[in-house]
Amino acid sequence: MLLAAREVREAVRSRWFVLVSAGFFLLSFALSSLGLSGAERSGLAGFDRTTASLLNLALLFVPLTTLLLGGLSVAGDLEDGWLEVLLAQPVRRSEVFAGKYAGLCAAMGAAVVLGFGGTGLIIGMTTGGNARVFLALVLLIVLLAATTLAVGVLLSVGFRSRARVVGAAFGAWLLFVYLCDLGTMGLVMARGLGPGQVFALAFLNPIEQARILGTLALSGGLDVLGPAGLFGLDLLGRTGLVAALAGGMLGTIALALSGGYLVFRKAIIS
Amino acid sequence: MIETEGLTLRIEERVILDGVSFRVEKGEAAALVGPNGSGKSSLLRCLLGLVPFEGRARIGGRDVIEDPVGAKALTAYLPQRPAFGGGTAEEVLTFFAKIRGVARGRVSELLAEVGLSAHQKERARTFSGGMQQRLSLAIALLTDAPVLFLDEPTASLDRGGQSLFLDTVARFRKEGRTILFSSHRNDEIARLADRIIALDEGKMVKNASASSEPQAPVIPLRARGIS
Repeated sequence: MLLAAREVREAVRSRWFVLVSAGFFLLSFALSSLGLSGAERSGLAGFDRTTASLLNLALLFVPLTTLLLGGLSVAGDLEDGWLEVLLAQPVRRSEVFAGKYAGLCAAMGAAVVLGFGGTGLIIGMTTGGNARVFLALVLLIVLLAATTLAVGVLLSVGFRSRARVVGAAFGAWLLFVYLCDLGTMGLVMARGLGPGQVFALAFLNPIEQARILGTLALSGGLDVLGPAGLFGLDLLGRTGLVAALAGGMLGTIALALSGGYLVFRKAIIS
Repeated sequence: MIETEGLTLRIEERVILDGVSFRVEKGEAAALVGPNGSGKSSLLRCLLGLVPFEGRARIGGRDVIEDPVGAKALTAYLPQRPAFGGGTAEEVLTFFAKIRGVARGRVSELLAEVGLSAHQKERARTFSGGMQQRLSLAIALLTDAPVLFLDEPTASLDRGGQSLFLDTVARFRKEGRTILFSSHRNDEIARLADRIIALDEGKMVKNASASSEPQAPVIPLRARGIS
């Protein structure tokens, strides 16, 4: 708890927390305002349309931010010598590792709630939209942030230096956001993958899981779910699919943190 | 109080420490000497469980690998390269006081003791090298740990800082604390050390009482550029 609280204080002090919160707020507010002005002209349901736009924005920018922040966490402390000082104290490595992740997660969660929640509050009060849907969206973004943050921490422990970890974090972001989709499309064309296999592949990519989850939460129309989402819906039903996807993201967190800790507990601190 | 048996450290096939075995008795002050890269800092890091090693190391009878928290609870460490994060001197010291379960009142006492009272609200990372080393000393002084590990403690201190440090360590010796410190400074070693442990290329080449060979150079010849 003490170590997690210190991480939160350091996040606020280093100003990334303020910058990220403000960045999320400005981007989401600008996008929402544009969306709403278009909706007024075309007569579309403004709030739902806005939340759908916010989902796409979050799927792009939240993983980029969290992969980098998580990536710099352990590697930065290692390079600065802070880990050496901290681990020379009577604390377990597991406490330091868990405290670092918990603190970063809390700070990032707060940044998401402030940034996206602030926009939601303003848009909701203006248009009188469905607050429950928006709350679900914010919770989903927090879960996505926690998942990609865990992957970032894994990269941080594995690559150990700021320079290498920044490269790895960008690589992971490109992989999750673009290359997985392209790879899946390529495999569908080259190998003739069926919807079941595409659905299984979605479990390798937390951003795809968040996209399907978000689409389920925001849209009543099934056509926007895509073949993987539709297959999952047929197979598991709505509740089952939500549980499977949320479980997949939580599983990714558990796997990334377990892998990260296995490396960290034997890491050379110097 | 400090005991190692066949302590060996390999990093990426390179042997950093090669079967180092020694004992430092309770109340003894031992100097680790040797050229740069001889393994002095690595040995201290092994004793703090910061690097995985082969062999055994015990502090106050507690195995560093099997009971790392228990072993580290008996130690205070002054690293060669201080690091504090983004907090003020007071916040940094308060954080470590909480980790060590030390009363908060001790923080201002210690800041006064190391001459940093006037800077307690300033960010520690903006301090000069000497001020950072003083703050590190304050962290090491937080508890009455019976064992002190000091890694080239006076390297970045000015005369005032060195004098403060040497007086503090001399006080620790009188209190019967066990000290293991690395140093390149002969005057410091001559003043503080009861025992000299010399390393060269990861091997222990000397382990003797400081008074047994008073005329002999305490730093191995290679460290002085003579081979």
